[in-house]
Amino acid sequence: MPDDIAEVYRSTYPALVRFLYRKVWDAERAEDLAQEAFARALVHRPENTRGWLFVVAANMARDEARRAAREKRHLTLLKSEPDAVSTAPEDAIDADTQRTLVRKALDELTPRDREALLLWDAGMSYDEIAAQTGLARGAIGTTLARARRRLVEAYDAEREGGQHVARG
Amino acid sequence: MSHVDEGGGGGTLHAYLDGELPSAERVALEAHLAQCPTCRARLTEERALLERASALLGSARPAERPAPPFEQLRRAPTHSPWYVRRSVAWAASIAVALGLGYYLRNPAPAVVSDTPQQQVATAQHRDAFAQPEKAPALTPVTVTATAHTPAPTRATARASVQTATAERQHLRDEVARETPHADSAAAASRSVTLNAAAAPRSVADSLTARVAEVVVDGAPLARPAATNWPVISRLMAKSILGEEPVGLPGLATRDFRRVPGTDGTIVVEQTLDSSTVIQIFQRPAGSAYYDSAGHLYANEDRARLRGYSSEDRGRQRGDRMFARFVRGLRVEIMGPLSADSLNRLLEQVAPLP
Repeated sequence: MPDDIAEVYRSTYPALVRFLYRKVWDAERAEDLAQEAFARALVHRPENTRGWLFVVAANMARDEARRAAREKRHLTLLKSEPDAVSTAPEDAIDADTQRTLVRKALDELTPRDREALLLWDAGMSYDEIAAQTGLARGAIGTTLARARRRLVEAYDAEREGGQHVARG
Repeated sequence: MSHVDEGGGGGTLHAYLDGELPSAERVALEAHLAQCPTCRARLTEERALLERASALLGSARPAERPAPPFEQLRRAPTHSPWYVRRSVAWAASIAVALGLGYYLRNPAPAVVSDTPQQQVATAQHRDAFAQPEKAPALTPVTVTATAHTPAPTRATARASVQTATAERQHLRDEVARETPHADSAAAASRSVTLNAAAAPRSVADSLTARVAEVVVDGAPLARPAATNWPVISRLMAKSILGEEPVGLPGLATRDFRRVPGTDGTIVVEQTLDSSTVIQIFQRPAGSAYYDSAGHLYANEDRARLRGYSSEDRGRQRGDRMFARFVRGLRVEIMGPLSADSLNRLLEQVAPLP
């Protein structure tokens, strides 16, 4: 029996937007895509709505990324990113810079590690992540541990690099 | 038991911290942690790492905005730019001014709108397209429902159509009034010549159908139930068309719909005001000619349509088609407005922002 999509919508929409945002890095596009995914779910009535939604959303985000690459839209995105980050402490750097740093750090992860991390952050269980990524259930903990470590290290490296540029 | 996660990259500890370790393993792990300071220290490190990673991800999240009502999901997501209000006022004023002009010029009602034949035709068309049980509750009245559907059957067609007000009745009267007899005769004869199987046969039918029909390359297609066509997303519309859909830049886009058939026609429905929907049909100009209604059509008519350009616009009022090319798209416009209003609006059509 298919899930009650209205209920899934209520509980999962914010997580799906967040998940998509970290792939397309545009809040409005993320909302559009999330709504599109739910609209498709209304048509397809999948058995496991939540898992299905994230698969569809990931595919849409991938298509979106390809399209954006084609249209060279990333140039305008990158243009708005600062060349160097400030030397201010972490809690003082502005939100945009922080987002840019996290985005760059996420880009350093392997696609599989990143996917697992984003799915976990979206509220998925290890079982769901395993089903989604094709990883063995027993490998999820290790994958997440590696993803978290790389994220933090890449972020620190970005900040460190930024400080060097700012000083130099 | 040796140390947890030796050479294992912290997977067990992370699964434990995530609350995802199977209970048997959890019990064993906790027993080990109780007597192994090394692993307890390691757990503290991993917890700090996990919390730091969560915080970083948390700092890269979109501004939380409430989810739109679930019911809206049945439509494609739309954007209403800030300039919508202003432009609606502009468009409405044009429509009102032109409508008034026609009203003054042709004050006498010229048409008997409902005939038995038309009712039959309308019913057939509705059978072909309508999916009443799926009709969204918010479906506004479209020009086809207003101009083409007789009032008695309309009441049974869809509850939403019953929201038609006296204002809509007035619009319908106005549409009828603004059609001179000469046009109607020409329209009727062309209709008969071009379409051996066309439903409208009487002058009165053609008059009403003049506004209600859409012409695709010379073949009039009755589109009586446009609001039941499947709603698609803007992304989908774009992928069908191969480029951004077009519309009136200032108007709110209500939805994108796919027109049944295989020629890749979609319709963008935009609201002029709370009760008036403008429909903008569009399809790739290069797509193969296709006649979904099985109509015959004359080659010269098709050529004339294809060659439609600014110098032809002066003659549009006598025609039943309002079409132009916008980039790679062939665009047609429909709405409960006068012919000139529609033509003026058509000239404003541009790729949606």
